[in-house]
Amino acid sequence: MNQGEQSMTIDEKPEVTSTQILDTSGLVCPLPVYKAALVLRGMESGQVLELICTDPGSLADIPALARQRGDRLVGIDDRGAVQVFLIEKGPGT
Amino acid sequence: MVTQSQSIPTKTSDHALRRYEDIRDLLPDVDNPTPLVRVRNAVPADNVYLKLEWLNPFGSIKDRAASYLIRGLADSGALEGREIVEASSGNTAIALAAIGAIDGTKVTITIPDGVPEETKTVLRMLGAEVWETPDELCPVDHPKDGAIALARSLLASEGGSRYAMPDQYENPDNVRAHYETTGPEIWKQSGGEVSAFFAGFGTCGTITGVGRYLKERNPDVRIIGIEPEKGHRLPGLKSFAEANEPGNLDWSVVDDVVPVLDDPAYAMTLRLHREDGLLVGPSTGAIVHVINTYDDFKEGVVVGVSPDAGAKYTTYFQEMLGDEGLPII
Repeated sequence: MNQGEQSMTIDEKPEVTSTQILDTSGLVCPLPVYKAALVLRGMESGQVLELICTDPGSLADIPALARQRGDRLVGIDDRGAVQVFLIEKGPGT
Repeated sequence: MVTQSQSIPTKTSDHALRRYEDIRDLLPDVDNPTPLVRVRNAVPADNVYLKLEWLNPFGSIKDRAASYLIRGLADSGALEGREIVEASSGNTAIALAAIGAIDGTKVTITIPDGVPEETKTVLRMLGAEVWETPDELCPVDHPKDGAIALARSLLASEGGSRYAMPDQYENPDNVRAHYETTGPEIWKQSGGEVSAFFAGFGTCGTITGVGRYLKERNPDVRIIGIEPEKGHRLPGLKSFAEANEPGNLDWSVVDDVVPVLDDPAYAMTLRLHREDGLLVGPSTGAIVHVINTYDDFKEGVVVGVSPDAGAKYTTYFQEMLGDEGLPII
């Protein structure tokens, strides 16, 4: 886990409010990454996307997407079958 | 949704009269071939001909593959209650979208983001949904071709119940289209005198299907493939340095592979426009450039495929032309 990322559970979300929720349940790689990138592109810096995934590959893909784009992964809740990511859009991304 | 009875109708049209009840009756075959036209000025040899595939009803060589692919899906029942999803750099997408529009089947296309705006707009005009896709889509497991990866993930998502995928890169119906139509047309139009056939590597349906047919008729016919460099700007052609080899490619029918660069390909494309009145797309320029540098074929009929027309690439040519052709005041 990189600096700035927090492990969390659904009940222990960091003190951030998500601006948008994207549910990619049932979608397989690279669709969650593709849709997340599209939604983040339309958001303002500092806003937070709550991303729900069911593809196990997302545990690697989504943190990598955030690093690649310069966004901040605020937290990950890995429930096994479902993963929830909180991604804060970075400045100028 | 497509039913078997709706998919590509049986042809009953009279090509001599050129009156048709269905645009799909214009799809080519040996009785209704696309023209084979000699390049009179841009090359010095007098035996170089282009097969003008942009005179197909939906504007490109991919009309052939798309019709066979949809027919195959419909005949197998795979289209029942499903939409079509396919990865395409444009021409297959347009043909699929047009045929899908006639059949009432929704078509979703994943398309590389470098494809010119004209193509993306035409697809939307035809009612298709267009997903622009960067090649390096996955931040972890970088597939070579993001559009194909995205199409396959759409196919697998939602329990696999929503989409059917023609899969032009792997589906033998693509090769069969060219084996049954393009190859026999070239053989007949050349009077059996074809000595060489030049084509690019894209889905490889053309080079494999035509190559297989022509070599069965005459094993001495040479089949030459044109391969662009990595990072090229020649739509429809693939560099195997950055794209996977399609399952449709049969190397046993390919005699030689010739690399081509963008600049001479575009220069030849403009020469074909300006010296021969052939308003071809950049891949045709690449093919004719290679034919022009290939000195082996003094005899017989040399055939190059002309996959599509230049009108879909005007934004590319605007960049090339700069102020050329504008009045100097």
